[in-house]
Amino acid sequence: MNPPKPHRILLDRVSGYADEAAAYMRRRRIARRPFARLYYAGGRSADHAHDSDAGAELFVAAGRLIEVAGKRAK
Amino acid sequence: MPDAAATALAPGDAAEAALAFLTEMSPDLRGGAILAGDGSVLAASSAPGRWREDAAKLFEIADAAGGEPVEQVHVATEQGEVFALRHEGMSAVVVADRFALASLLFFDMRATLRDLAHGTVPAPGDGGEGEGG
Repeated sequence: MNPPKPHRILLDRVSGYADEAAAYMRRRRIARRPFARLYYAGGRSADHAHDSDAGAELFVAAGRLIEVAGKRAK
Repeated sequence: MPDAAATALAPGDAAEAALAFLTEMSPDLRGGAILAGDGSVLAASSAPGRWREDAAKLFEIADAAGGEPVEQVHVATEQGEVFALRHEGMSAVVVADRFALASLLFFDMRATLRDLAHGTVPAPGDGGEGEGG
């Protein structure tokens, strides 16, 4: 039996990476929940849950900005 | 050498050009605004008054949440994502579609404010050659 042609190996590898990337994006869409994250000078960051006081206020403020930005023309 | 066409822009025009360039570089972007250090709007994709008020409120809440001024804000909701950044004495606030790549968007926003501060704003249509891509 002949070994696979080199270009076939390359195509298989590329499509393997593409499949993995697509699966990662699917998992990300399913698993990702709304969040509010603040970053400070020096690299520190802090997450605020949406049921905390600060988190709730951040989500309201973000909602207003999303409203003013409107929908993107496709 | 700075691009003569870029440096010849008036501050308001430069901010408009910077926002247009940022929008061109980021396909997920729905809209945004660039604000001066005093909170006034230098450029906005729509309703500058609303952007000024709502961006100021967002930064106010974010600053109060941690007891110190924030550098970046990222709020991801079901309806879209909000990114806000302070840099070079200015701030940029944008709204993007869900699942926008945060690190790339913050990088582009930072590059845009830096170019604006240094008077080297590329004209829209020059995308792909700067370091902001």
